[in-house]
Amino acid sequence: MRSARRVPTLRILTLFLLPLSGVVAQTATSRIVSAANAFLSTLDQKQRQSVLFAFDDEKQRTRWSNFPVQMVPRAGLSLKDMNAAQRAAAMTLVSAALSPRGFEKVQQIMEGDEVNKVNSRNNPIFGKDLYFISFLGTPSEKTPWMLQFGGHHLALNITIAGDHGILTPTLTGAQPALFTADGKTVRPLAGESDKAVALLNSLDENQRKQAVLSFRLADLVLGPGQDGKTIQPEGLKATNMNEKQKTLMLDVISEWANIVHESAAAARMAELKADINETWFAWSGPTDVTPGKNITAYYRIQGPHLVIEYAPQTLGGDPALHVHTMYRDPTNDYGRKFTGK
Amino acid sequence: MILASGPLRAHRLDEYLQGTLISIEKNRVQAQIALTPGVAVYPILLAVIDADHDGVISESEKRAYAGRVLHDLSLSIDGRSLTPRLLSAQFPAIEDIKEGRGEIRIEFESDLPGGGPSRKLLLQNRHQSRIAAYQVNCLVPRDSDIKVVAQRRNYTQSSYELDYTQAGAVSSPLLRWPSGLNAPALAIALLLIARLGFLWRSPARYF
Repeated sequence: MRSARRVPTLRILTLFLLPLSGVVAQTATSRIVSAANAFLSTLDQKQRQSVLFAFDDEKQRTRWSNFPVQMVPRAGLSLKDMNAAQRAAAMTLVSAALSPRGFEKVQQIMEGDEVNKVNSRNNPIFGKDLYFISFLGTPSEKTPWMLQFGGHHLALNITIAGDHGILTPTLTGAQPALFTADGKTVRPLAGESDKAVALLNSLDENQRKQAVLSFRLADLVLGPGQDGKTIQPEGLKATNMNEKQKTLMLDVISEWANIVHESAAAARMAELKADINETWFAWSGPTDVTPGKNITAYYRIQGPHLVIEYAPQTLGGDPALHVHTMYRDPTNDYGRKFTGK
Repeated sequence: MILASGPLRAHRLDEYLQGTLISIEKNRVQAQIALTPGVAVYPILLAVIDADHDGVISESEKRAYAGRVLHDLSLSIDGRSLTPRLLSAQFPAIEDIKEGRGEIRIEFESDLPGGGPSRKLLLQNRHQSRIAAYQVNCLVPRDSDIKVVAQRRNYTQSSYELDYTQAGAVSSPLLRWPSGLNAPALAIALLLIARLGFLWRSPARYF
């Protein structure tokens, strides 16, 4: 009883206090813009020049890859070329644009590359400081602009257009996709793997026949350099799934959709939920799973506003330890729906 | 921090990825093949591409290799063979190929003869089959009259079949042009038959 009474009291108090603190006025966009301007204010003139691009700079817009930055050079400013304060401001900005779990995932992907560096006797092509930040356009609450952050196995392309926050196209990946850090086991893309297995295991025999493709998929179909393309969907359509299975598929999708900050993620999930009956699930490869490890199969989820691909890499090692994923909205990559660019 | 073990490879290794995206229009099929040699197989490819082994891929070598790739394809529609026509060929620097990040892009097209409302396109790829990892997909047609019905592939995706429908196409097999016969030739044949019929009914046939 006491706690039940306390809740309304707290709510009333909060309503009084929020306007005073200014929290109500601070939207996600204004938070991101403030963090962007705070970061820019730490840079000298030369650094500012290297980090700022015109909003219509198509070359920079599409300059992202799964490869390490020394193999496919990025533009912008790398963490390596920042001092501690600048680096902290850069990561605060990335954090502001993402959800807590999204930011954690990004940090784990970067940490994985640090593991690569140590494992390869400090090979300079790897490392968590080899990630670049850049802006297309000027950070603004009204005018569209873009924040890019990426390096090996990471390409975040975040378009901010007023209240809209668009994360597509975004590439995530992991190598190693399983490591230990500070005594904890880390699997940056665990949800992407485990939730897909839960969906697959929920299918009956007839559904599996449709979902599991009879041919091998060696890599991403719509990876870097394949903007603006929509392939014919295949596999099992959600109209042939029950409600629980549709919920499981939305849960898989949320691993990508929820990388961006909460309000943008909520809007995106609502859009994808509305599309669910037009969404397809396709799987190619082994259906057996080693507990605690990532799958070695490729899968794709595709709807009218969505393409997700999960592609383990068979590059001579264990494909469970090296994964590339792609997250696209063929109708709104780079926020084109809102920006016209 | 504690480490994971295993080989560290950021690049394609022992396969030659060949990803094809097909675009279907009413009178034309267009395709893009993205070819990415792995670092362990690039010497095989470079020996073929850089034919004079001077360390540079010349324009004539690019054209020759693109021609070779197209020669290794079989393309047909409704059982009729099609000849791919090269549209463009883009090659990365040799250094990029050596590191497994170089992607060769070849675009080709072929005219599609008229056909019925249900059509079947077949693409077979035999290029460097020993080391190839093929992928073939059809893009969603921009023309709303064209609907993809089914895509079928063998396990390696070296063989790909696309069934699609095309609204507005003539449906009766009697009205379809026979295979191998072009429209003007058929029209002339019909005129000759009509003329012969007229002569047969005319009294002049006795002369």
